[in-house]
Amino acid sequence: MATAARPPSLRLGQQDLKCRTGCGFYGTPQNDGLCSMCFREKFNDKQRKLRQKAGETAGLAPGHAPGFTDRRSPQHGHHGQGRGEQQPRKQEAAETSGTLQKKKFTTVLQKTLQAGAQKITQQRSHVPDPTEGQFLLQLRQLRIPDDGKRKLKLEIQRLDSEIRKYINGNSAKNVDELSDAVQNAYTKVSDIVHNDPSFEIATNEDRDSAIDFFEKVVMTQNHKFLFSPYFTEDEDSDVKVQKRIRQLSWITAKHLDCSIDEVNAEARDLVYNAISELVGIDSYYSPQEKLQCTVRCCRHIFELLKRATGGPASADDFLPALIFVVLKANPVRLHSNINFVTRFTNASRVMSGEGGYYFTNLCSAIAFIENLNGESLGISSEEFGALMSGQQPYSTPWESALLACESLHLISENMKRMEGLQKRNALISSGIASFEKELIEFQREVTERVDTVIAKAPLNLLPIKTPAFLIGQARAHLLSDNEAGHYQANVLSGGGGSLTTQSLTAATSLAKPSVAPEDSGLSLKDTSIGSMGRLSPLQQNLQPADHLFASPMFNYAAFDAVSLLEDPVTTEGNDGDVMMLGSEFQGGLTNINYDFDLSDQSGENSTADESKLNLDEFDPLVQKSSPIAQKPPALPETPTLLDSTTDSLIDSEVPGTAVLLPSPLKPEVANYRGFSNFDIPSISCNTGDFSSLGHEGVEEPK
Amino acid sequence: MATTPRSGGVGGAGTATRPNGTSQNKSCQFKLVLLGESAVGKSSLVLRFVKGQFHEYQESTIGAAFLTQTICIEDTVVKFEIWDTAGQERYHSLAPMYYRGAQAAIVVYDIQNQDSFQRAKTWVKELHKQASPNIVIALAGNKADLSNIRVVEFDEAKQYAEENGLLFMETSAKTGMNVNDIFLAIAKKLPKNDGANNQGTSIRPNGNETNRPTNNCCK
Repeated sequence: MATAARPPSLRLGQQDLKCRTGCGFYGTPQNDGLCSMCFREKFNDKQRKLRQKAGETAGLAPGHAPGFTDRRSPQHGHHGQGRGEQQPRKQEAAETSGTLQKKKFTTVLQKTLQAGAQKITQQRSHVPDPTEGQFLLQLRQLRIPDDGKRKLKLEIQRLDSEIRKYINGNSAKNVDELSDAVQNAYTKVSDIVHNDPSFEIATNEDRDSAIDFFEKVVMTQNHKFLFSPYFTEDEDSDVKVQKRIRQLSWITAKHLDCSIDEVNAEARDLVYNAISELVGIDSYYSPQEKLQCTVRCCRHIFELLKRATGGPASADDFLPALIFVVLKANPVRLHSNINFVTRFTNASRVMSGEGGYYFTNLCSAIAFIENLNGESLGISSEEFGALMSGQQPYSTPWESALLACESLHLISENMKRMEGLQKRNALISSGIASFEKELIEFQREVTERVDTVIAKAPLNLLPIKTPAFLIGQARAHLLSDNEAGHYQANVLSGGGGSLTTQSLTAATSLAKPSVAPEDSGLSLKDTSIGSMGRLSPLQQNLQPADHLFASPMFNYAAFDAVSLLEDPVTTEGNDGDVMMLGSEFQGGLTNINYDFDLSDQSGENSTADESKLNLDEFDPLVQKSSPIAQKPPALPETPTLLDSTTDSLIDSEVPGTAVLLPSPLKPEVANYRGFSNFDIPSISCNTGDFSSLGHEGVEEPK
Repeated sequence: MATTPRSGGVGGAGTATRPNGTSQNKSCQFKLVLLGESAVGKSSLVLRFVKGQFHEYQESTIGAAFLTQTICIEDTVVKFEIWDTAGQERYHSLAPMYYRGAQAAIVVYDIQNQDSFQRAKTWVKELHKQASPNIVIALAGNKADLSNIRVVEFDEAKQYAEENGLLFMETSAKTGMNVNDIFLAIAKKLPKNDGANNQGTSIRPNGNETNRPTNNCCK
C-alpha cells in the first residue's frame, strides 16, 4: 500500500531512454544511448580521444555490469532470503534471482541498454552513464566560472576513477577506506571551491551548489558500487532488521508511548504519507536525495503529531512516532541506505542541519528497534518473548484498523447500495401516491362532470309539467264544462269531448305567455329564492334526488307539489290573474297541510274551486289504479292529442321553452344519474321506480 | 520548516551547515543538544528562545524538535541549531547519536522534580564521558516560575554545576526568565574560531573568501 504510493518509475525515467546529450530524442543502446544524430557526431569527434583513454579505463569495464545488477537486484529480491548468505554476489545470480519478478520491462530495458553500453565500453572506452548527459547539462548551468567548472569536472572524474579502481582492485576491500577516500575528496573539493582563484567571483551559494553537485554526480554515478557493496554485510543487516520488524508487528503505538491514533482515518493517512516517503528513500541514488526524502517523511510525522497534540511536537513525541512509522513501513534495504548515507555523504550533512537531525532520528529509531526488549516497551520479558516467538496471539489497532477499514468500506458500499434502493423505493412510493392522487382527481373529475350533467338534468322533470298543461287545459276544459269529478273523467271529457284543435291551440297560446314567465321564474329561482321562498322550482330541483333515493311515496308527494304547481298556470291561463297568487298557491301547496288554508284563501276566487279540484284530483290519483283500468279505451285518443299539442309547442315556442319538450328523454337521464352516484343496486330499483313513475306520470295525464 | 523567519533553512542549503562557518569569525554555527527527562519543558524552553512564545504556537511551527536561531554576540553572528532529544528513559541509550558532534548541550531538569535532576546528572556524566571534550554544557533548572513549590534547591544545583564546570541558570519558559540569557551565555563560552568541531574535514585556511551572507541577526 505504502509502496504503491510511490511510483517505481524513479528507477527508470524517461531520462534513461532519451539521448544522453539531452537533445530530446530517444537514444538506443546500439548508439551508446544516443540518438542517431548525436551518435554520429560524437563518434567522429571523440573516437580519437577515446582511443587514447581506452587503455586506461578498459580495466573498469568488467566491474561495471555486476555492480549495476547488484544495485538493482536487492530492490527486486524484496525479502532477500536468497541473498542472505555471505557468498559474493555474482552477476548471474543477481540476474536470475529477483530481477525479472517485478518491473520486468524496465529491468530488461535498462539491462539491454546497459549491456549495449558495456559492449561498446569494452570495445572502445568508458562511456558516460545515461545520467551523465544530464549532469553535464547541470554542470553547464552552474553559476560558476568556466574555469571552476573544468576543475570540478576534473575532480569528479578523478574521484570516479578512484572509486572504480578501488572497487575493481584485487586488494582486500574495506568500506571504511572507501568512505575515507570519498570524504577526503569532498574536503578537497570544498577546498578548491572555497579557495581556488577560479572560484573567486562565485557567491557562497554557488560554491555550495558546486559542492552539492559534485557529491550528487559522483554518488549517482557510483551508486552501484557504493550502495551496499558486496564486501560489506549491509545486506545481511537489511535482512535481519527486516525480519526483526516483521517479528515486531505486534507493537502498537501504546507500547512506544506514542501519541499516534492508529484508528483515526486522518492520522492513518498521514502515517501512510510518512511511510511512503520512508520507503521511497531507497529509490533515490544520491545521499542528498535520500536525506531530503527522510526530511519529508519526518515532516509528515510532525504534521501528524501537531494534529494529535495541538502544538509543535517535541522530540519526546517525535521519536516514538518515527519508530512506529519505521515499524509499520518496514522499508527495504534499511541498513544499506543508512550506511550509504553515513559513509558517502558529506560528513557535515548528517552531523548538522535539518536533514542531519532527522537522519539521526532515523538511525536511532533503527537502533532502538534492533535493541528493544520487553523493558523498553513496558512489558515483561516473558510476554515479550511470547509475542516475538508468535506464541501469544495479538491484534494491533493498526492491523485491525486496516481490517476495520476494509469492512468499513464494505459497509459504506452496502450503505450506498441501500441508499440507491431506498431512493428507488421512494420513487416508487411517490409514483404510487401521485397515481393515487391522479386516480382521486380522475374520480373527482368524473363525478364533477357527472354532477354538471346532473345539474342540467333536473330540468327534465318537466314531463310532469307537460301533463300539467294538459291537465290545465283539460281542467280548463273541464271547468268550462263544469265537470267536477274524476280526473280521468276530465281527461276523457277533454279527449272524448272532442275539443277542437283550435280551442286547444288557443289555450296553449294563452298558456305560452304565462309559461314563459314561469320559465323565467325558474331560471331566476336561484336569485329569487329569498323572495320566492318555498317556490316550487326549488322543490323540483330537489325532487329528482328524492326520486332516486326515496321511496316511491315521495314521488307521490312530489307529484302532488308539481300538480299543485300547475294551479297557477291554470289560474293564469284561465283568469290571467297575477302571478303572486299562483306563487302563493305553489308555496302553500308544497305543504300538504296548507291545503285547507289555500282553499280558505282561494275561497274568494274560482281558483278555490280549482284547488279543491286539484286536491280532489290527487286523492283519486292514489287510487288511480282503478281509473287506469278504465283508461285503455281513451288511450288511443290522448296520444294523438298530446302529440299534436307538443308538436305545436315545439314549432311555435321559443327555445327557452325547449326545456319543456325533452320529456321523452327523462328516463334516460334518470338512468345516467343513477350511474354517477355509483349506487348501483339502487339504480335498477330507482330507475325501475322512476321509469314506472315516469310512465305513470306520462300516463296520468292520459 | 522549523526555522525562524530570521534564520534561513539549514537542511537544504548544502554546506551551509558546515559548522565552522567562515574564518573571519563573523558567523558561526553551533549544534546544541537538549537533554533532559520528558516533560521538564525542553521544547518549551527552545520555543521560548526561538519564537518568543509559550503555548501560543504559530501555524508555521510544525515541530519543536529541530529549530534554529541566530543571535548576535559582539561582531559575531551565532547560529544555533537546536536538536531536541526524546527524554523517556527507554530512549536514553540513543542520546549519544544526537550529541555526537554537538558543540553545546543544555541539560534541563524540573525544579519540582528531584528525579529529573538526578537524570540530569547522569546526562552530564555521560556527556563528559562520550561527547566531544570541549563541549559547552549548561544546566537549566526549568519551571522557575513555580519556585514556591520547588524540590531541587538552587544552591544544590549551583554547587553541582560549579563542581562539573557547567553553566547554570534557573529558567522559566513560561515567563521567559533567563531563557535568552542561558543561550547567550553558551554562545559567549563557545569558541568562535575554528575550534568548532570539524568532523575530520580539513580546516580551511583563512582565505580571500567573502563572508557568507548572514541572516539578519540581533534578535
